[in-house]
Amino acid sequence: MSKSMLIISRRSPWSGPSAREALDIALAGGAFDLQVGMLFLDDGVLQLAGDQRPALLEQKNLGANLQALPLFGVDALFACATSLAQRGLSETNLTLPVEVLDDAALRSLIGRFDHLVTL
Amino acid sequence: MKFAIAVFSPAHAPSSRRALRFAEAAIQSGHQVARLFFYQDGVHSASSNIVTPQDEVDIAAQWRSFVEQHQLDAVVCIAAGLRRGVLNQDEATRHGRPAANLSAPWDLSGLGQLHEAAQLADRLICFGGD
Amino acid sequence: MSTLHVISHSPFADDRLDSCLRLLANDDGLLLCGDAVNALRAGSPVEARVRNADLQQRLFVLAEDVRARAIHSELAQALDYIAFVELTLKYDKVNSWL
Repeated sequence: MSKSMLIISRRSPWSGPSAREALDIALAGGAFDLQVGMLFLDDGVLQLAGDQRPALLEQKNLGANLQALPLFGVDALFACATSLAQRGLSETNLTLPVEVLDDAALRSLIGRFDHLVTL
Repeated sequence: MKFAIAVFSPAHAPSSRRALRFAEAAIQSGHQVARLFFYQDGVHSASSNIVTPQDEVDIAAQWRSFVEQHQLDAVVCIAAGLRRGVLNQDEATRHGRPAANLSAPWDLSGLGQLHEAAQLADRLICFGGD
Repeated sequence: MSTLHVISHSPFADDRLDSCLRLLANDDGLLLCGDAVNALRAGSPVEARVRNADLQQRLFVLAEDVRARAIHSELAQALDYIAFVELTLKYDKVNSWL
C-alpha cells in the first residue's frame, strides 16, 4: 500500500513559479501511480478562476497545465470554500472539477493523507 | 525512524539553517535521514558558488560537510535547478552555460526522487520560507 | 490521523497562521518557529487569537527563536532541535506552511 500525499497549493498563479512547482509535484506523483490529492487554499484558489490571460504577462498558461491532473490520475481535487468566498469566486465557475469543502470537511480531508506538502 | 527532509529555501534563509539543525538532531538521536531533497529556491542551498562573508556562518558549507560526513543521499531537483541556474557540469555543457555550480555530494535528479523518499520515510518534513 | 503544523512566517504579514488555526483539528499540534514566534508577543491581537484558540498542551515554539527575540510566553512549550525531532514522531505527519 503506497503512502498518500496531499499537496496544498496556496499561491496565486501570478506570483512566480511556486504554483507551477506545486502542480509539478502532483503530476510527478500521478505519473508514478501514487495516491496524490491536491487542495487549493488561500490565494491558491485563484488558480481556478476562469477567463485568465497569462499571455498578457508573458506567462505560460498554468490553467491549461492544471487540466493535465485528471490525465495523470490525480482526480482527488479540492478547494477551500472559505478561500473562494474571501476572494469573491463562485463555486460554480471554476476551471477544474474540484470538490469545494468547508473548514470541517477540510480538517477531515487533511487528516486522511499520509504526507502533506503545503506550498 | 526514517526521515525525508525537503528544503525549499536558499542557504541564506533561516529555514535552510533550521532544516540543517533538524537533520543533525535527527541523526544525533539515532534516526535515519533517508534523503534530502532540495526544491524551489532550496536548490541554492546546494550551490558550490556561494561566498559567505567571513564573519557570518556559512550554512552552504555546513550543508556540504554534513552530507559528506554522513554520506547522505542529497538530491537537487533538476527542473528547479535549471530554472535558477544551479547546474552540474553535464547540464552546463548540455545547455551551453559557462560554469557549473553543483557537484558531488549532490545529485541532480527529478521530482520522482521526492516521491520515492516520501514512500520510504516515516516522516516527510519540509522547510522553507522565513 | 494527527498533524503537527509548522509555521515560520511572521503572523503580521500574511494569512498562514489564520488559515492554519481555522483548519487545525482537535488532535493537531502547532509549532511556531522563525518569525512566526512573534505570534506570542504579549499584548498583540495575534497573541489574543492564539490564546483563544485553546491550544493547551499542543502549542510549541522553537526555543532558540523565542530566546533570540526576547519573547516570553507561557502559552507554548519551548523545544530544542532534539525535542523538535521527537515531536514530529508524536504526530502522524507534519505540515509545514511554506
